[in-house]
Amino acid sequence: MSDGATQPVEVDARVEDAASGGALLELRDLRVDFRTAGGRVRAVDRLSYSVASGRTLAVIGESGSGKTVSSRAVMGLLPPTATVSGSIRFDGRELVGLSDRQMRRLRGAGVAMVFQDPSRSLNPTMRVGAQVIEAVRTHLDLDRGAARKRAVELLALVRLPLPEQRYHEYPHQLSGGMRQRVVIAIALASKPKLLIADEATTALDVTTQAQIMELLRDLQRQLGMALIMISHDLGLAASFADEVVVMYAGRAVEQAPTGKLFAHVRMPYTQALLEAIPRVERPPHARLPVVPGRPPDLAALPPGCPFEPRCPNRRDLCRESDPPFAEGEPGHRWACWFPCASEASP
Amino acid sequence: MLVPVRERGEPLSTNGDEPLLQARNVVQEFVVRGRGGVKGGVVQAVSDVSIDVRAGETLGIVGETGSGKSTLARSLLQAPRPKSGSVTLRGTELVGLRGKALLEARRSMQMVFQDPFGSLDPKWQVRDIVEEPLVAYGVGSRDERRARVREVLDRVGLDADVFARRRPRQLSGGQAQRVAIARALTLDPALIVCDEAVSSLDVLIQAQVLNLFEQLRDELGLSYLFIAHDLALVKQVSDRVAVMYLGKLAEIGPAEALYRQPMHPYTVALLASIPSPDPNAPKGKAEAAISGDPPSPIDPPSGCRFRTRCPRAQERCAVEEPPLRELGTDHAVACHFPVGSSDRIPAIAGAR
Amino acid sequence: MGAQLPEAEPHVATSALTLAPAAGEPIERRRGWLRSLDVVVPGAVLAFLLFLFFIWPLIGPVGRPTGGNILNANIEPWSSGHILGTDPVGNDIWSRILYGGRSSIEIALTVQLIGLVLGGSVGAFAGYWGGALDLVLMRVLDVLIAFPALVIALAIAQSLGPSEFHTILALSFFSVPAFARISRAATLRLRERTFILASRLSGTSSPRVLLRHVAPNILPQLVTFGLLGMGVIIILEGALSFFGLGIPPPDPSWGNMIFDGQGILSAEPRLVLVPSVFLFVTVLSFNLLGDALRSRWSAL
Repeated sequence: MSDGATQPVEVDARVEDAASGGALLELRDLRVDFRTAGGRVRAVDRLSYSVASGRTLAVIGESGSGKTVSSRAVMGLLPPTATVSGSIRFDGRELVGLSDRQMRRLRGAGVAMVFQDPSRSLNPTMRVGAQVIEAVRTHLDLDRGAARKRAVELLALVRLPLPEQRYHEYPHQLSGGMRQRVVIAIALASKPKLLIADEATTALDVTTQAQIMELLRDLQRQLGMALIMISHDLGLAASFADEVVVMYAGRAVEQAPTGKLFAHVRMPYTQALLEAIPRVERPPHARLPVVPGRPPDLAALPPGCPFEPRCPNRRDLCRESDPPFAEGEPGHRWACWFPCASEASP
Repeated sequence: MLVPVRERGEPLSTNGDEPLLQARNVVQEFVVRGRGGVKGGVVQAVSDVSIDVRAGETLGIVGETGSGKSTLARSLLQAPRPKSGSVTLRGTELVGLRGKALLEARRSMQMVFQDPFGSLDPKWQVRDIVEEPLVAYGVGSRDERRARVREVLDRVGLDADVFARRRPRQLSGGQAQRVAIARALTLDPALIVCDEAVSSLDVLIQAQVLNLFEQLRDELGLSYLFIAHDLALVKQVSDRVAVMYLGKLAEIGPAEALYRQPMHPYTVALLASIPSPDPNAPKGKAEAAISGDPPSPIDPPSGCRFRTRCPRAQERCAVEEPPLRELGTDHAVACHFPVGSSDRIPAIAGAR
Repeated sequence: MGAQLPEAEPHVATSALTLAPAAGEPIERRRGWLRSLDVVVPGAVLAFLLFLFFIWPLIGPVGRPTGGNILNANIEPWSSGHILGTDPVGNDIWSRILYGGRSSIEIALTVQLIGLVLGGSVGAFAGYWGGALDLVLMRVLDVLIAFPALVIALAIAQSLGPSEFHTILALSFFSVPAFARISRAATLRLRERTFILASRLSGTSSPRVLLRHVAPNILPQLVTFGLLGMGVIIILEGALSFFGLGIPPPDPSWGNMIFDGQGILSAEPRLVLVPSVFLFVTVLSFNLLGDALRSRWSAL
């Protein structure tokens, strides 16, 4: 399936580290509040998860779930109206409370991010090669010649066809998939230990999506990176992630290793997501089981479980009291008073 | 006179077995202007596509970026007119018509767009938005129109008392799309073209809106032309599915048959790319069966347009363009070497 | 890779922060007054100035701006009956400031309105229909814009002779093409929006689309452009009057007041200073207001 020339396999010392476990990134009770015209809004509430080197975590949620805000918090990319509390430990280092300057040094050097729309991530007036070189020289001390060589290597690493040629082209001359590869190359320029892909394939065609996801997975193996993929697509998570965290209204509502999660979904919201995904197996004109209503107003959350108004399992307790996010089974956590009991069938 | 809403059941039938919408040899091109307004090339967006939508059916069209599916839909609606070819709606040829005649002939066909907010004028109130087609066609008195607006809003699940006076920025994505659907329903159309109509919505809302489409289909006997890039989505709503590649029809057939036994290599590749929400499906098999990126529609490959990425391509494919041939029941494919039942079909995750 | 068809629109990843309303509640939230300081302050100043120029002379003790007695020349400010004193010809400066301000704003408002209606329409037609109409209209406007505004205005005023009406005409020559440009650009952007296509598919005729869909959506831009241009027009009028080609004396205009005062600048600086200060404050207020509204409305 390779796209042509073989590229030198970059085996990093970290590949060995990955085997030794230990969380690379650990979030504990992360909270992010925003000061808005309507008052204080809690976009992320008591979020805790961890990712080890070489592993992939999928953060799944819809609009307003807090998935993007939480990743921006890790990157230190939140606007000044945001207040972050709790703990984010990266490679042993606490990130919450770092100054902008300190965060900037960390960004790219330890953590890199790939965003959704490659056309917006790339400067349309700069040639592709120039943009990659810029990233390379920001993080590595190389002279012009060496930096250029490294840039071409990176473009080849992301399987961009004809990297030497593409080097001189402008972003608009490339297709969406190619642009996203360039963005990934830029992200990799600094040899990050953690790569966050925020809806990185959502804007791409389905065949390109598959290619890019595989590229990310292969790169992860080669470079020993940890990968956090943020998405609304549970199907994607199923195929590519080791562990899944499902978010709703700013909090984690279910978390488990992929296999366990899909074998036995507990949180009714996750179940609803699963059932709402279009399936090829369904007959034409099948009616989907739907959950009524819309995500709640983050500025006016009810006291109990945020999913309660829409939940098929709801009872009075749900409205009164917020269920704790607890480990009900080894490795499998959820926040629900009346979780789905039966073995779920996808 | 207000056209009454049809009773539950029968789709509007045409003369005998004539399809509701019949497109023949539709061609649509765009001139690309290079620097300084000089003609840089011609994008062959839709090349010689012939397709039918039968009364009461949902025809799905899938394809990737550059496949021409959206352009085809707009050409069918004459927005803009196709460069050549014929489009017949209920027996009336649309391509030659202008002005009032076109308006009358096109009345039975409406469209719902991808961006729910983009298709609504941000300065208008919901009730005016929904009323607009009635005003344009001079239907009924003011009261009758208002009543129709209420009726139609109710049908899409929006309480008229709450929503009639709202503006688009006061709506959520799902609500905005419902308004767009309500607007499409006011003239009691026979066919609704959905151009990626649910692609911008969150998963749960998407499911709600899809159910609404199905419900309307049951209640009003609507036909749909459903365009999307999400293959699983298309299969779920369609009776028949057409696959487009670079402006041409690659394959068309009954949804079940097409997904179970795809004949065109491109269809096979597309199906292989669907990520399956079943982690037990062998991970390695989510492998992309297709390489590279689609070629430019300005200068498509000679012969079969898919040959540059096709694992089965032979010399003949570069020379001779494959015609659309019916190889199964109602199942046609444009390929010289289609994937037949005699071939070993590689295991495809999610296509079962 | 070459040109391609526009890619299918990506899944709209809405902001992580969704202030999704509870059922029945509009999403808009009213901002506190403090947040609107950028609008309120210049707005209040302008409101006050408008009151001063248009209403106060009708109800308050304001003298006549012309027909002064030479015996009253050069009276100091804060004297009875003449808060700002008089000019070399004996006219009360305060009333001249007020009446001059009224003229300036009247003229500027009229010019901008003509520009908005005429120029806005021409630009919208050109942008909406395109083709030959667009080509012709735009080339004509290009020619008009190419000339320096002041020169054109002077030439027209010169040939027609000084009067308020002629000043308006001369300045419209400048504002109409400017609005047309803005209007055309805004219409071109708008034309690509799906709701225009949806409206056409609903059967709405082009003229109606222009009136009911295009106009309301480009209007905010045109209005802010108009406000920002008020300052320019006021100054241009001042310049015309300064050269004796605007408001004919003895009627006051800040421009001709400055002209009159420049001769004895060292002796009586207030004759130049006072109208200059008013000019400055008025133009600044229009600019600030226009700017504040633009940043608000462009977010919509």
